[in-house]
Amino acid sequence: MSSPSSAAPHRGDSDDAPDEQGGSEPATRTDGGAVVDGADEPAVATGQTKPSWLARVQQSSFLESLPFWGPPGLLVLLFVYGAIAWNFVISLTGWEGLGAPDYSSLSAEMYARLLSDPSFYAAFRNTLVLLVAFTALSLVVGLLVAILLDQQIRFENTVRTIYLLPMSLSFVVTAIFWSWMYNPRIGLVNEVLRSLGLGGLTQAWLSDPQFKLGAIVFALMWQFSGYCMVVYLAGLRAIPDAQYEAARIDGASTIRLYWRVIVPQLRASTMSAAVVLVVFALKAFDFLFVLFGVNPGESADILSVMMYRVAFDRIQWAYGSAVAMVLFAMALGVIGPYLFVQYRRGEL
Amino acid sequence: MPRDNRSDDEAMTRRRYVAGAGTVAAAGLAGCSGGGGGGSSDGESSGSDTEDGGSSETGGDDTGGTALEIVHWWTAGGEQDAYQALLDGFREAHPDVEVVDNPAPGGAGSAIDTVIQNRVIDGEPPSTFQIWPGQALTPYTDEGLLEPIGESVWDDEMRAAYLDGVLDLAQPAGNLVAVPINIHRLNNLFYNVSVLEDAGVDPTTIDGPQGLLEAMETVAAETDATPMAHQTQAPWSSLQLWESVFLGQTGVDPYQTLLEGDVASFEDEVRSALDTMAAYAEYFPEDAGSISWDQGNNDVIAGDAAFLHQGDWAAGQYGSAEDFAFGEDWDMVPFPGTDGVYHSVIDSFVFPTNNPSPEATEAFLNYAGSVDAQERFNPIKGSIPPRTDVPMDAFGDFLSRQFEDFQNSDAQPPTIAHGTGVAPAIQSSLSETFANFNGSLDVDQAYRGIRDAF
Repeated sequence: MSSPSSAAPHRGDSDDAPDEQGGSEPATRTDGGAVVDGADEPAVATGQTKPSWLARVQQSSFLESLPFWGPPGLLVLLFVYGAIAWNFVISLTGWEGLGAPDYSSLSAEMYARLLSDPSFYAAFRNTLVLLVAFTALSLVVGLLVAILLDQQIRFENTVRTIYLLPMSLSFVVTAIFWSWMYNPRIGLVNEVLRSLGLGGLTQAWLSDPQFKLGAIVFALMWQFSGYCMVVYLAGLRAIPDAQYEAARIDGASTIRLYWRVIVPQLRASTMSAAVVLVVFALKAFDFLFVLFGVNPGESADILSVMMYRVAFDRIQWAYGSAVAMVLFAMALGVIGPYLFVQYRRGEL
Repeated sequence: MPRDNRSDDEAMTRRRYVAGAGTVAAAGLAGCSGGGGGGSSDGESSGSDTEDGGSSETGGDDTGGTALEIVHWWTAGGEQDAYQALLDGFREAHPDVEVVDNPAPGGAGSAIDTVIQNRVIDGEPPSTFQIWPGQALTPYTDEGLLEPIGESVWDDEMRAAYLDGVLDLAQPAGNLVAVPINIHRLNNLFYNVSVLEDAGVDPTTIDGPQGLLEAMETVAAETDATPMAHQTQAPWSSLQLWESVFLGQTGVDPYQTLLEGDVASFEDEVRSALDTMAAYAEYFPEDAGSISWDQGNNDVIAGDAAFLHQGDWAAGQYGSAEDFAFGEDWDMVPFPGTDGVYHSVIDSFVFPTNNPSPEATEAFLNYAGSVDAQERFNPIKGSIPPRTDVPMDAFGDFLSRQFEDFQNSDAQPPTIAHGTGVAPAIQSSLSETFANFNGSLDVDQAYRGIRDAF
């Protein structure tokens, strides 16, 4: 429908466009090879002699690719960013109950209420603890296992698969699995402690407020350190053997070798694994919901569970939206700097 | 030259931008309306997926205004059988009405809340749905989302058959909007007969909630059994136990006042009930935080636990256990201090506005309030009928006794943990308070939580 109007301007700028096309196309296809260049040749030639608007539209990579990224782009804009924006607007209303939201009076009242809500503080603190402890522990364990696997041990593939397997399980499965593991009477954790003669250390892991969050962090780490291991293993394999040999010849001990030479080169792996882990920690909703329902108690409550509880259990939509915005800001606070660093380094 | 070029470039990019935007819009429209393209069909299917979460099966089963869609959470074992018996009876009475069964199981009713709330907000409610009567209805009545059925369904004959306490719960805002279909009793103390005999405890002589504490002490001293098979994984069991302790220590009238939000004038009583709870906690199973209530109940059946405080749905488990007879192996007394109280957990059906099938819904609600429906449904569900004129032949000894207690009861107070007593937001806050109390047993904090919840 817009084609007749768009035809005129294109015809007017007939000089520049083909040059730009001809210049940019090969540059973007650095590894395209001779076949691609050859295929482009006739098109560029016709463009220079007499470019019809149709040909120009066909050539323009912007328009050519548009049908592919345009509709999904629009849908993402509408259903992701539009939904976030709408959620923010709802958080400024006082929407409760089953009526319609009142958009006429917007205020930050819900955010003020967050600041005076002790369960928000508990949930916020737990979310941060979970985030930091779970990410750090998973990275450390994953790195140690990756280094171990990198020593050309026997059954490497088997061990790697076994260790990565938990990650393929859903949170629902692992939550139920760990609720059995942690059962104070018949659970494996306490049974092992008892059989080692450490009966005094047995705990009601999932009901004692002291250990609740720690038990959850450990279970999540079990599930995701395998992922860190794979990421680190790939990073380790990318480091040339020569560096190990050089360090050995210089007389570096194993610990020194890894600490000074190898680990610093794994920064990219650490970054990408950490971002994924942080996002998983923010989304640990399923795990807690399966274990405790909407009320994990203040020692294990996290923001995503609180958001669900407030919105769907108490029908306080606006307040739930405010919690969701805090969660969104936290996620952005992690991903934003990461994307920025990547962009600065030209990796994006 | 560069300047000229730049202005040309600018003009071109602007035009290109406009043209591009136009094409994007066109492509987007084409993509959306076509529905065959990869990207757009993805978008559409995910869009309708999210809608499905809310409007469930209406899309598929929309057969005009005649089909009766019932949303409920009775999907487990005996509950499902009871619901099917109810449907069978309704189909016999109204063979012309097509019934669309739409269960929303899970989370002891929390899943159904989400489904129903979304659909009601979207203005697409089902024909009728299962809900606790009383204060649980207030989010709906506040917005006028339930049709008053005082004229159409509740005729004089039906009103006369219900006890006043139950009738009140069906009219939280002053007019009748719900039809209660069953009543469970909450203030039960179930026990394993042989365990108590071993311990030398006579449950019928236990004097008040404090007396129960002494009885549990005796059980712990005399036997290896767990004195009380309580679960603390989810907070509702503790919340309902606290309700019973408060009722037993303080009485029905203060409890009713408390439900109206006046916590401060009963500070000592509320704290005292919490203290009693904290003392009970010593006699809960070691793994109370990891088990569900029915796992705890299995210990009562196996003779590994003495007492269980639970709604009388727990009796269904005894019925299906082998060699576990009522009276000989298990029995029940009203929770100490609550004789003459029938602490009621009720389910009901309602008539939402914007009803897709008004006539069929009315027919169903009329049926749900009839003797025939309640006689079919309740024996299987393990509850008693709210109508007092239902014959008790099919109900068995235990439920017949409960029904007798019900008819002779002095009060039928509503419950907090099961929605009839307080609005959902208060119920949720109290649940959170008791989730914390289960872990910490901190009476001060729990009192503050209860005070602030109202």
